[in-house]
Amino acid sequence: MSAVITKGLTKRYGKKTAVDHIDLEINDGELFALLGVNGAGKTTTVRMLTCLSEPHEGEALVNGHSVLTEKDAVKAVVGISPQDTAVAEKLTVRENLELMAKVAGFSKEKIEEKVSEMIECFDMEEVEDSRAKTLSGGWKRKLSIAMALISEPKVLFLDEPTLGLDVLARRELWRAIEALKGRMTIVLTTHYMEEAEMLSDRIAIMVKGRIAALGTLAEIEAIAGKSGLEDSFIEIADRAKGGK
Amino acid sequence: MKRAWAFAERNVKEVLRDPLSYIFCIGFPLVMLVIMTLVNQSIPKESGMTIFRIDRLSGGVAIFGQTFVMLFAALCVAGDRSGSFLVRMYATPMKSRDFVFGYIIPLLLIAVIQCAFTMAASLIISLITGVELSIAGLLIAIVVSLPSAVMFIGFGLLFGTLFNEKAAPGLCSIIISLGSFLGGIWFDPEMTGGVLLKICRCLPFIYSVKSVRSAIALNFGYEEFWLPLIVVIGSAIVISALGALAFRRRMRADLS
Repeated sequence: MSAVITKGLTKRYGKKTAVDHIDLEINDGELFALLGVNGAGKTTTVRMLTCLSEPHEGEALVNGHSVLTEKDAVKAVVGISPQDTAVAEKLTVRENLELMAKVAGFSKEKIEEKVSEMIECFDMEEVEDSRAKTLSGGWKRKLSIAMALISEPKVLFLDEPTLGLDVLARRELWRAIEALKGRMTIVLTTHYMEEAEMLSDRIAIMVKGRIAALGTLAEIEAIAGKSGLEDSFIEIADRAKGGK
Repeated sequence: MKRAWAFAERNVKEVLRDPLSYIFCIGFPLVMLVIMTLVNQSIPKESGMTIFRIDRLSGGVAIFGQTFVMLFAALCVAGDRSGSFLVRMYATPMKSRDFVFGYIIPLLLIAVIQCAFTMAASLIISLITGVELSIAGLLIAIVVSLPSAVMFIGFGLLFGTLFNEKAAPGLCSIIISLGSFLGGIWFDPEMTGGVLLKICRCLPFIYSVKSVRSAIALNFGYEEFWLPLIVVIGSAIVISALGALAFRRRMRADLS
């Protein structure tokens, strides 16, 4: 079964087309990377798939539910960690997680169980009683992902999860994301080649709101006729822009 | 409603963990009570000026304190809108009504606590100054001040929704000034009369002060208590509905 299907999904901001008729099919349990430079349309795509933005054209199904007509059903099965670490700054790590578990409608026992599970899963024991505003960037990202995960989503959207993190924090977060692989469908947006290369099962390269190439790393390299994701990405992006 | 309560709980913690809440919502009204009582001591009795006497002052200061709850409501909403926290919450099954209740409930709770502090301090001051104050009247005043609190929170919700973190407090300052001067908190507009009194009567603030003062005095006459209270309840319904509507429209626009 496909976790996400988009057909001609389009979004415009004034005269600019941010996402231009994209067709995607993301498999259940897959870690799928949307790779592109800033402004390629990755975040807009995620926003439409999580019902945070209305498409102007096309349709998308998330876990079989339409983002146009079944918003509540879609929201019940997705989790999102937005680009900016969207946490309640004055709440502690534990309280942030409790908030999301309560909003998910869990019972008191389940809230306790899920919060403890998330704290353990992301090794946050040492900061669980610290207020979010006092956390480093890496901890905030971990918390942000844990907050998205606590509602037991079927599809998890991670929008630039390692943006602005130092190399150690990035590696640690990669390990955390890798540990989630196979447990749910993960859609990851990034402009870091190595991140897409390391983590994803399949990669879609977005250029100017369109899907310029889609496939496994080997397939992308074959499409580009280059070795390595970075060279392949540059080749495909140049072709899509009409540079070559 | 479960989601609204969860969001309200978060907002209570956010407000209670901000030291400014204590300074403006509790400290400032208490300081004003003490200062104005000292001013009252300096006013010659022959002048017949009673506005700063604790039995009249407490109602005014209670409403004055609520204007700062409005400021906090505006800051809370505008602050959430400026970051991406609301984006995360929008992606959950929460509805606009959950957000609105989630903002109103904790601020209403803070307004009640603030009013209780003001009334308790008033009682102590009344014992010191020898002015008679009824405990029943003070307790009733806390309940009577609720519609007014809803009205000010509604203003805060409206400004916080329509304006950003920088503009919203500025607009709240205008309401704080209007409430203070045209609400009869620091002077009695009935004594001035004329255009000023007409302006005061066109705004809801004077009715808020009048209804709470009458409750403290256990004066439940139609002109003194019920009519002002009806006006305040009506204003609270209209302004909080406007705030809720504005938030709903803003949420829809954000999600379009």
